Amino acid sequence: MTLDHERILELLAGYAVRSLSGEDAAEADRLLSEHVPSCASCRESLADFQALSGELALAPPSRMPPDLLLPRLHRELEQRVVARRPRLFLVAAAAGVVAVLGMGALSVGLGIRASNGQAKTALFADALRTANRSDATKVPLISSTGSRGMTEVSAPGLEHVYLVGEAVPPPAPGMVYRVWFHSTEGWKWAGDFLPDPGITVLELAIPTRVDEIRITEEPEGARGNGPADTERWSATFLAA
Amino acid sequence: MRDEERLDLELHRRLQEGDREAFDELYRRYSGAAFGLAYRITKQEALAQEVVHDAFLAAWRAPEAFDPARGTFRTFFLSLVHHRAVDTVRREERLRKRTERVANLEPERGEDVAEDVVESTYLVQRRKEVREALETLPPEQRKVLEMAYFGGYTQTRIAEELGIPVGTVKTRTLAAMRKLRRALSREDEAG
Ligand SMILES: [Zn+2]
Repeated sequence: MTLDHERILELLAGYAVRSLSGEDAAEADRLLSEHVPSCASCRESLADFQALSGELALAPPSRMPPDLLLPRLHRELEQRVVARRPRLFLVAAAAGVVAVLGMGALSVGLGIRASNGQAKTALFADALRTANRSDATKVPLISSTGSRGMTEVSAPGLEHVYLVGEAVPPPAPGMVYRVWFHSTEGWKWAGDFLPDPGITVLELAIPTRVDEIRITEEPEGARGNGPADTERWSATFLAA
Repeated sequence: MRDEERLDLELHRRLQEGDREAFDELYRRYSGAAFGLAYRITKQEALAQEVVHDAFLAAWRAPEAFDPARGTFRTFFLSLVHHRAVDTVRREERLRKRTERVANLEPERGEDVAEDVVESTYLVQRRKEVREALETLPPEQRKVLEMAYFGGYTQTRIAEELGIPVGTVKTRTLAAMRKLRRALSREDEAG
């Protein structure tokens, strides 16, 4: 055992309270995928720290949320009945794309077609056509800011999904929206985009078995191996 | 296993089947704690509401994210709320370049009288234990932990704010977590 466990535990403790950034966050990610799964002592410490992080949540006094929150949630729960099926489909479609495109196509940056320039009209027409199909499914992405405006549109037989947004607020100056896919292989970058003033349409090829699409707001150019903790929208997909 | 945890497991199982009554019951059980936490971190009703909204919706849409083998539903769910609240406050901070939040860490006046939510006896008891455990921490450890957990600060930022090396922030965080772990597991056995 040549690893410095005290240092590892420091990282795991910082990770559990979500206070790591930069190199430390990257190192914690590496530990979590490489060392921790095979080290019983680290696994136990991590589980303890995470449980503790959940317990600390009780320190502030409890507080009644606004009365309107539960009815609002109820309205959105309706959508899962619809949403469950497309997620299953999405996973199935993903397997199809892998077969068609082959492993070479699994590299990052695969297939994001944004609605800039001339292609916009055609792309929007494609998305609209898909959305209007009777077997189409539309899943609103959950916004971490409360702003609505990104919906995932998919339909059986398509090798891609559309993300359609209306009046998507622009990112801060120097920043872009960055699209990430998560699968059992970890995070993969799909591409960057800047929203259009009116309707924004993105076409995404699903590279592999995807369980989450996440859109972050990150500095243009500088890109890590996974999404920064500046999530703006996300959709989690149920495993088949 | 406690009755509380057994009930949560049952509610979680029903959630996976799309049972809306189970959702309502979990909301009744944990929305007060979730909103209290989100409000402490974001300091804004509107932001706190979005955090709690997103957390409950995430639990509904992807209940399998909780693995019963890895802990209780309550700590899983409240961690989810915590993460989202921290991410929200960091984003807000970046957008507004907010400063001088350190002085703001203390509970706001009146916050403690807002404890108007009916909670289970166990939750009330656990809340008391957690607060008491925090009280036992040496002030410098507690400060670092609270800046991270309730302030949403990164360790780098805490080091800057307090004028101490990042290494010190790390060792204090770990020391605090160890001490809390000991204090709370002892309480748990006693309870
Ligand atoms: Zn280890």
